[in-house]
Amino acid sequence: MHLARLRLRDFRNYPRLDAEFAPGFHLLLGDNAQGKTNILEAVYLVATLRSFRGVGSAQMVRSGQKGYFVGSHIVGQGEHETKMYWSLRERNLSLDGMPVRKVTDYLGVLRTVVFCTEDLLLVKGPSRSRRRFLDLLLSQTSPAYLPLLQRYTRALRSRNAILKQPTINPLLLAGFSQELLQAGGEITQLRCELAPKISALARLACRRIASDTEDLQIEYLPSVKKDFTVELAQSAARERTYRTTVIGPHRDDLDLLLNGRSATQYGSEGQKRTLAIAMKVAQADYLTGLHGTPPILLIDDIMGELDLKRRTGLFPLLQRSRLARSQVFMTATEENWPEELGRDVQRWLVKEGGLCPLPATDS
Amino acid sequence: MSALPAAIVALIASLRSLPGIGPRSAERIALHLVQADPHAVEQLARHLTEARARVQLCATCGALTETSPCGTCSDPRRDATFLCVVERPTDTLVIEKPGTFRGRYHVLGGKLSPLNGIEPEDLRIRELEERLTREPVKEILIALGTDVEGDATSFYLARRLARPGLKISRIAHGLPAGAGLDFADELTLSRALEGRRDMKQDE
Ligand SMILES: Nc1ncnc2c1ncn2[C@@H]1O[C@H](COP(=O)(O)OP(=O)(O)OP(=O)(O)O)[C@@H](O)[C@H]1O
Ligand SMILES: [Mg+2]
Ligand SMILES: [Zn+2]
Repeated sequence: MHLARLRLRDFRNYPRLDAEFAPGFHLLLGDNAQGKTNILEAVYLVATLRSFRGVGSAQMVRSGQKGYFVGSHIVGQGEHETKMYWSLRERNLSLDGMPVRKVTDYLGVLRTVVFCTEDLLLVKGPSRSRRRFLDLLLSQTSPAYLPLLQRYTRALRSRNAILKQPTINPLLLAGFSQELLQAGGEITQLRCELAPKISALARLACRRIASDTEDLQIEYLPSVKKDFTVELAQSAARERTYRTTVIGPHRDDLDLLLNGRSATQYGSEGQKRTLAIAMKVAQADYLTGLHGTPPILLIDDIMGELDLKRRTGLFPLLQRSRLARSQVFMTATEENWPEELGRDVQRWLVKEGGLCPLPATDS
Repeated sequence: MSALPAAIVALIASLRSLPGIGPRSAERIALHLVQADPHAVEQLARHLTEARARVQLCATCGALTETSPCGTCSDPRRDATFLCVVERPTDTLVIEKPGTFRGRYHVLGGKLSPLNGIEPEDLRIRELEERLTREPVKEILIALGTDVEGDATSFYLARRLARPGLKISRIAHGLPAGAGLDFADELTLSRALEGRRDMKQDE
């Protein structure tokens, strides 16, 4: 699968962009603050309908403009046109000329995995970052997951609102508990099935990137240990004290163990970085295994920060993308394309919200 | 850009507050009205005020009606032992369409929603309990949407209304998840009516 064309109107610092991309490697070169990451953000947006920078759509509208448009042409087993317009007053999303009614009908048209410096949050950040990792992967691979998560969140927020009232109506609370239990049970189940698969893939990736001496294990730490119904009932006193729901998938975490010890607590900076990349590689591997085609890789800035050994660990992933006629988009400020990957790469110059192809260099 | 006369701006603002009318439609309708035949506009205004003045909620079931009690509540051919509970007045129209339901209605006037500050006292639940003491109701069918609030409300009602000799069931499937009754087409609805489950089996 590859992104054959990207069209931007008033997106970030791009007033207008019409670019065509062949399968293979694309290197986006340019000085700081020229719009390199913005391109990756737009590609990611086409795939997931959100920004990987964790911001809302309003921030992606070019300053002083009303709304942004992002359109794409995707070539895979079939071909697809996507169009997305967003303004404060109007939102339109269409796939092949038809308005998209349900997000789940849309997700999966394009699959991407992004590598960026914020990935370090997977290891260093709060448990929320690790839950989001699971959620994003599950909503890309299991159509039922996103609606389930929305239901759970709604039930959770409703329940918490009830718990904050001066007097709690037990029957009313029970009505929403019922919803929480049902959606929550299914979420725990899906996360529980996913975790060992990701753990196995991340372990292999970690060995490749670091060395065979680093043994990575990812363990799912569900908030619910055995029976959600029983445990929610047991938490009644605590939830009345804290006036919030204290048990459920919104309290899940992943334990990242390096040679049996918590990497979050004991890992060195380098190990943490390796680990974050290994998790992303696992994500890409998992998507590839499930769908038979590798996702588009969006690599923002991290190549420059990696030493040769860690870069080498990423090569199999990059090579596979090339062989499968998928794509890799990489940003860099100076040309630090790893020579080992060969010269078969399209270079682009990003300058002040514009993109132009650079001729292939022979040197 | 020349400014619009104040009267038009005010009209646009009023129209915009109507459901399903965005800024562009509001502007289009307003501009149409101020250029239309004055008689036609007067008639429209009359229909608006008259409809609003005549239509009220049935004191018994809460449906839209010009006479209270409404036609359904006063129709002796309707099965008084069978009551269908819906969220909004317009939901009764959806249930009526397939023509298979012969019982009567009770409109709650909303659903429980802690996030919007809607509590049991804000719904017509006490009225429903009073009807149960007055009317020979033997079976209640709860036909609420299947979003989180709809489901929680169904659960709440089933527990609160439970009493000996009263069968409570709900529309069990067929309604698209997360949608109110509006989205249910007639076919899924009549299938859903047949497929209703006793709520005790749900638990
Ligand atoms: N909503 C917006 N409207 C207009 N310009 C924006 C908007 N959001 C960001 N920008 C501009 O986009 C530029 C940043 O783009 P981007 O993050 O893609 O830079 P970059 O090329 O990746 O830089 P670096 O090498 O520093 O990472 C900045 O000049 C910023 O002011
Ligand atoms: Mg950048
Ligand atoms: Zn009536």
